[in-house]
Amino acid sequence: MRAVIAEDLYLLREGLSRLLEAHDFEIAAAVDSAPALLRALLEHRPDVAVVDVRLPPTFTDDGLRAALDARHEIPGLPVLVLSQYVEQLYARELLADQAGAVGYLLKDRVFNDDQFVDAIRAVAGGGTVMDSEVVSKLLGRRSRDEPITRLTAREREVLELMAEGRSNSAIAQRLYISEKAVGKHSTNIFAKLDLAPSNDDNRRVLAVLAFLNS
Amino acid sequence: MAEHLVTGGRRVGWLLAGLVALVCAWIMPVGHVGWPVVLEVAAVALIILWAPPSVRRAGPVALILIGLVGVLLALSDHMAIAVAAIPSPHGGSQVGGVVDGRASGWRTVLLLQSAALLAAGVWLIWGNSRRLLPVRAGLGTTALVRWARPRRLALLLPVAGAILVLLVEHGGSHPPWNSASNAVGLSLLVAWLFPTVGADLAAVAVVVLALWGTADATAPPPMAWAHAVGGSSLLVDNGTSNWQLALLGAVEAGVILAFGAWLLPRTIVAHGRSVLRPAPDPELAGRVQQLTRTRADAVDTAAAELRRVERDLHDGAQARLVALGMNLRAAERLVTTSPEAAIALIAEARQTSSRALTELRDLVRGIYPPVLADRGLGAAVQALALDTPMRVETDIDLPGRVDAPVESACYFAVAEALANAVKHSGARVAQIRIRFTPDHPESRARRGAGPGMLRIEVTDNGTGGADPARGSGLHGIERRLATFDGILAVSSPPGGPTMIVMEVPCALSSPKTSTS
Repeated sequence: MRAVIAEDLYLLREGLSRLLEAHDFEIAAAVDSAPALLRALLEHRPDVAVVDVRLPPTFTDDGLRAALDARHEIPGLPVLVLSQYVEQLYARELLADQAGAVGYLLKDRVFNDDQFVDAIRAVAGGGTVMDSEVVSKLLGRRSRDEPITRLTAREREVLELMAEGRSNSAIAQRLYISEKAVGKHSTNIFAKLDLAPSNDDNRRVLAVLAFLNS
Repeated sequence: MAEHLVTGGRRVGWLLAGLVALVCAWIMPVGHVGWPVVLEVAAVALIILWAPPSVRRAGPVALILIGLVGVLLALSDHMAIAVAAIPSPHGGSQVGGVVDGRASGWRTVLLLQSAALLAAGVWLIWGNSRRLLPVRAGLGTTALVRWARPRRLALLLPVAGAILVLLVEHGGSHPPWNSASNAVGLSLLVAWLFPTVGADLAAVAVVVLALWGTADATAPPPMAWAHAVGGSSLLVDNGTSNWQLALLGAVEAGVILAFGAWLLPRTIVAHGRSVLRPAPDPELAGRVQQLTRTRADAVDTAAAELRRVERDLHDGAQARLVALGMNLRAAERLVTTSPEAAIALIAEARQTSSRALTELRDLVRGIYPPVLADRGLGAAVQALALDTPMRVETDIDLPGRVDAPVESACYFAVAEALANAVKHSGARVAQIRIRFTPDHPESRARRGAGPGMLRIEVTDNGTGGADPARGSGLHGIERRLATFDGILAVSSPPGGPTMIVMEVPCALSSPKTSTS
């Protein structure tokens, strides 16, 4: 699996490269600025891109913009955006095209390399991965709204993990319940939130995020 | 001077009583020598009583000297009456009730008076030049001048005083020169007590006297010389002129002239220049006051922020990094002997670093939210709306970036308003509306940074009752916006809704490309 890495801090860039190589990724390019990222993405068309939001030249959200531009050129190009902070605004922009294959995670998530690599693979596979901080904020915002209050505590937990982009089996493992139970909860959630049920993981995530973002 | 006026209420009373007595003595009918003398002595004594503590501390010699000058000044008016029966060089004859023979007795007194006057003058200049000369003391620093300058009275007072002196002197039946010397003496005394306005008065009196003396030079010498000099002229009028007296008169006249010439540019000319300067614009003065206040507020706020950041770093990330280092060191030691314990420590170290990062993230957000730096106020407020645990509708039309400090102040103002809505109002929905009006007339009137006006409205449908006076963070917003000449208005009747309007004059920089 070929990856492009964009990170302006040398130590982090090297660390990420080593981490991905250790998990059998091939590093097509490791760049340190937004223009270089855009060039690398269009040239190498990697299976996944791991991008820092803040990059030269302006050190604002150049990385995010370059990634969005690249996805405009190559629809559905898998991009995992890393940041020291998460903004729902940016999450929205990443999700806006409804094409999936996006991820938005705090940089600290790198500490848990297994989960982090799983997230990269999920994005590369067309899935959607949202940081739990984004999801909890989304839920917090809607917590006073009528449909959300109808969910049970367990259903809320399942909803949160679904929104983060986890599969039924991952949710079951995390909550120590059976996959069947997860399926039952998810049916209930979709009914209560008035969403069209879907067995496809990716479409399910997008539906949930779209609902929370509305 | 200021504390002197403030604490000396009773002494001001004495002064007034003294002045009233003096005026009474002056307008007493000619011939009643006794009462006016008593009154004038009392008046001068009262004026001395009023003298500031520094004068009293000057010691008995000084007090005696002042007293002597005062008494002599008071008496000299009546010396004039005593000798006025002798025809003046102008041909006029004045009627007095005093016999000729007493004139010789006054001679000694007059000489003493002249000497005392000179001595007092020299002593006053020598010992009190700092008080006498407001230029040296720092022109315009006394409370009286500060009070008088905007009212343009500082110039009026000495002029009025000089005119009054002349009117009184002409209106009465006294030969003018004698009393004019009184005016000089009194002026010196007043100049000493009122360092600024009094000095003006003294300077004017001295110069008027000198000029008058010059005008009177038609009289044959040594008359002209003698006329220029206070009490000595009376002796000349008395027909007992001699060269010693003429010399004395010349010296006295020279001293007075020199004194006047020296005093003038240092007192009334300097004062006049500062008084005639265009009066300070009250609007401008108010502006200066406001800027001083808001600047102090801004500095306080910045200092408090830095303290908070320092504390947060010290108690948060720094402490966690110390723990991290300790854990790693322990793991290092255990890794061969007890690998499992080492692994547990390393896992703990990882969690610690994660917590440190979380704390740093929160801290950064509190200092300058990254999205604000990235995208500007409009997007940052949108992001804030998304993060707020309440439905927040935004209606933002901001075709460009505002200056970073204004952006930051407005962002935190909106954040505070939203936080209040969440915490206190029980509202279900909040609305944020942001508009920019270029070339806003009120913005120009407030002399803000630019001609435009940024208007932010935060409305919620909660229970209302927000009051900026009762703390609740609104006052903080108000102070923060005031640094940029911004204002805050709150409408929050009990039962709601609450509407907070903020207006900040500012300029909009060229729009940046935005994907939002």
